[in-house]
Amino acid sequence: MPVPRLDLPQGTLDLLILRTLSIGPQHGWAISERVQQVSGEVLRIQQGSLYPALHRLERRGWIKSRWGTSDNNRRARYYELTKSGQKQLAAEQGAWEALTAAVAQVLKAV
Amino acid sequence: MLSDLRIRLRSLFRRSRVEQELDDELSFHMNQQAEKYLRAGDSREEALRQVRLEFGGIQQVREDCRDARGISFLETFAQDLRYGLRMLAKSPAFTAIIILTLALGIGANTAIFTLVNAVMLRSFPVRDPQQLVVLKWSARQWPHSTGTSSFGDCAFPQQNETGATNCSLSYPLFQVLQNHHGALADAMAFAGTFEMTLSGNGAASMVHGDLVSGSYFPTLGVAPALGRTLLPDDEKPGAPAVVVLDYGYWQHAFGGSPTVIGQTIRLNNAAVTIVGVTEPGFTRLTPGKSVDVWVSLNQAQALGLKFIQPSDAKNFWLVIVGRLRPGVSRAQAQAALDAIFVNTVLRGTKPLWTPADNPHLLLVPAQQALRGIRNIFGEPLLLLMAAVGLILLIACANVAGLMLARAAAREREMAVRLAMGAARRRVIRQLLTESLLLSFMGAALGALLAPLGVSGLAAFFTKNAYMPLQLDLHVDARVLLFTLGAALLTGIGFGLAPAFRGSRTSVTAQLKGNTTTAAAGHGRGKLLSLGSALVVLQVALSMVVLTGAGLLLRTLGNLRGINAGFDTHNLILFSIDPQLAGYKDKQIPDLYANLQRRIAALPGVKGVSYSSDALLDGGLWTSSQVIEGRADKNAVDVQMLSVGPDFLSTLKIPLLEGRALTAADTSGANHALVNRSFVQKYLSGRRPLGLHFGDDSKKLDTEIVGVVGDTKYAQLRDEEAPTVYIPVRSGGATFEIRTAPAPASLMPAVRSVVNSVDANIPVIRMRTQTDSIDRLLFNERLVARLLGLFAALGLLLACIGLYGLLSFEVERRTREIGIRTALGAQRSTIWSMVVRHGIVLVALGALAGCGAAFGVTRLLTSLLYDVRPTDPVTFALTAALLLLVGILACSLPARRATRVDPMSALRCE
Repeated sequence: MPVPRLDLPQGTLDLLILRTLSIGPQHGWAISERVQQVSGEVLRIQQGSLYPALHRLERRGWIKSRWGTSDNNRRARYYELTKSGQKQLAAEQGAWEALTAAVAQVLKAV
Repeated sequence: MLSDLRIRLRSLFRRSRVEQELDDELSFHMNQQAEKYLRAGDSREEALRQVRLEFGGIQQVREDCRDARGISFLETFAQDLRYGLRMLAKSPAFTAIIILTLALGIGANTAIFTLVNAVMLRSFPVRDPQQLVVLKWSARQWPHSTGTSSFGDCAFPQQNETGATNCSLSYPLFQVLQNHHGALADAMAFAGTFEMTLSGNGAASMVHGDLVSGSYFPTLGVAPALGRTLLPDDEKPGAPAVVVLDYGYWQHAFGGSPTVIGQTIRLNNAAVTIVGVTEPGFTRLTPGKSVDVWVSLNQAQALGLKFIQPSDAKNFWLVIVGRLRPGVSRAQAQAALDAIFVNTVLRGTKPLWTPADNPHLLLVPAQQALRGIRNIFGEPLLLLMAAVGLILLIACANVAGLMLARAAAREREMAVRLAMGAARRRVIRQLLTESLLLSFMGAALGALLAPLGVSGLAAFFTKNAYMPLQLDLHVDARVLLFTLGAALLTGIGFGLAPAFRGSRTSVTAQLKGNTTTAAAGHGRGKLLSLGSALVVLQVALSMVVLTGAGLLLRTLGNLRGINAGFDTHNLILFSIDPQLAGYKDKQIPDLYANLQRRIAALPGVKGVSYSSDALLDGGLWTSSQVIEGRADKNAVDVQMLSVGPDFLSTLKIPLLEGRALTAADTSGANHALVNRSFVQKYLSGRRPLGLHFGDDSKKLDTEIVGVVGDTKYAQLRDEEAPTVYIPVRSGGATFEIRTAPAPASLMPAVRSVVNSVDANIPVIRMRTQTDSIDRLLFNERLVARLLGLFAALGLLLACIGLYGLLSFEVERRTREIGIRTALGAQRSTIWSMVVRHGIVLVALGALAGCGAAFGVTRLLTSLLYDVRPTDPVTFALTAALLLLVGILACSLPARRATRVDPMSALRCE
């Protein structure tokens, strides 16, 4: 029985990428794998939107990239969080938690 | 953001590298994913298929990444530019015509704007010019019993029912206002320019000098290039006479020699010591006014400028310029100074105004108050700017028409692009990029052509000015910005219509390969009506400019046809001022008689005389006289001219009654001649000979001994007015020499006669009477000449537009024409079919142009003479000229239409 998959709400992709990178530098494929694993296969990042998002975040200065070697000895592009990216993550995470808590409260109450 | 900029720049300049990295990154991802599926047990093909499915078009991901990196705008632009250049190179003739058209349009605009900028817009080349203010008085009426001199720095002195205002003030007032620190950081005063004789540096020459306060240079913040400038101490009573030279003058008159400092020269025969040279950047204060030397204003008497009495509070002659103290607004400074001013002019032993006159002092920004040549050239320049703007509009419409025709030819290309998935936005952008490319190339060429026009115009200005003009014509940021703006607007202006048209191409019709139906179905209705409208617009605009030019030409013809009352041909004029070379009044009649005799002895000279001013030479002397026996005892206005012996015979002014003035009249009893207008207007039928008149009723000391014919005096346009001729007794004079051969050929001989009589007397402005009259008609000639030029240009462009439109149409209808011919249509029928279309457009344009011109030519009213702005003859002639030229432009494409070979026309599709 396939696990039900959810589409990502608008704007959460950036948050997921930033959060994933807060553990340590990763390449794009690993980011998408990790999000998928941690969410119990519920969240899947569309490949077509992952890379534009990464490039966009890099342009904003929240992450930076360098070329490194992957586990299987291939050349891969690793992304890591910058100082301003950490701040951004904290801000977005705070906002997200406040939002979900508020939404949950409303749903429970009514 | 820094990272943003870095990434964008990297995207732009290291494009291939960035693309490669993106490809590497994406393929790494796909490999990882495929391996994952392989590990899960999929076959290799299945794994790869799965990956590709997930990824969605890889090309799309690439595009999105590119967009995310923000490279798309610059990159697309570079791409469009490359493509545009390729397209333009493909049709060089088309490209060349468009660039040339735009270059003419933009170049002409840049040229006129350079002049407008120099005359109207440029700020003073001094420190912080925006802090400078000019002190101007205003009151209900002119101050009581003052003498006012103004030197053309401010607007013309004004007086009307509501009051009077001027910016000439007295030296005592300047001292009072200057000593009030608080409102102004500094204040200076100046007057001029005065023509001065400079000797002691080779042959005597005329220079233009300003009288200035010691604070002049410190207030303006002008530093010396050499030595020192004038300083406040130079203005103190008893200070030694010193002079500061203008940098440009020092360069050409003293060869830029540094040893001039300390050298003594003579100005109007008074010894002055050169103490410094101004910095080269300080080229002018008042727009257009060129100053060679600056002298302290307390030297006025020593320089023989008798009409200036610095200590006299009733002598208004100085322009006062102040520098606002930082932090003090103009209104605050004005309030403070006005209080002092009002207090000063209403009190004292002899008040200048009464409180009822409500005198006040105004502080006007110097840029606005010091007008100089803006007074004279401002209006015609703005007129020309408007006219040349119309020419650019015509050029724009012209190019738009050409682009439209080409857009039709490129419809297939556009259809392919649209079918391949290009966004319409993208197609519009591509076409606009091409337009802008053309307009900027046109502007670049135009900017190269503009200096030619500018130098021609500047030479025309200088040749017709009474004083050397200082025109700062170098290209500055404002001119550059103007040209860029013109290019941008033109590019968008002519590119917009074809671009939208191009993007609306019908894909299916074009790709079916049936271009004829596509063009006919799509083009006939819309494309051509827009093209036709553009031609009509061009013709209409040309009509406006042509009409203006026509009206000015008729005005010039009318003015030149005016009978001046004397023979203006073959007449040399030159002026001298012997007093400036140290002559006493008593010596002057002998000097003039001697000069007259010696010049008359030159071969080719038929007559010589002299007068205080020449007729139609820019001067006018008016006076009030009381005439014996008139019922009205008040003084009447007359024009005055003092003349030497033989004046009437030299100028060929007819003597109607009595006798002419002779050498004997120079001394003894006062005799005078009056003109016919004088007799008609003031003597009401009484016999003029033997009547007396004079300055006031108690002293009617001048007897009328002759009556002469009327002549024009100040301006050709003015009515002949009552004029009195009295003998020359003193002062400077202008000599008139009637020549048999062309006047210019005798000028060197005349000059050497003057030099041989006294080398210390400089010859001022050797000219012909015709030159002088041309100078009076300067504005009319300038506007007529340029409007004529612009009109020719506009007409040419409109013809090219018409020709282009009809050629395009003939080409498009080749098949139809072929069929008609095959069915037996006569060549003449085909010819008139094409020409008729053209004529309809020209007629429509001429009609619209008539309407527009009707509204616009009013602007020319002040320049016109004896012709109304809506003169029907000019309008009719202009329209006829347009139609004639229009038929010529149509006949070429029409002839081509008659030559269409039915067989090949039908086969080619």
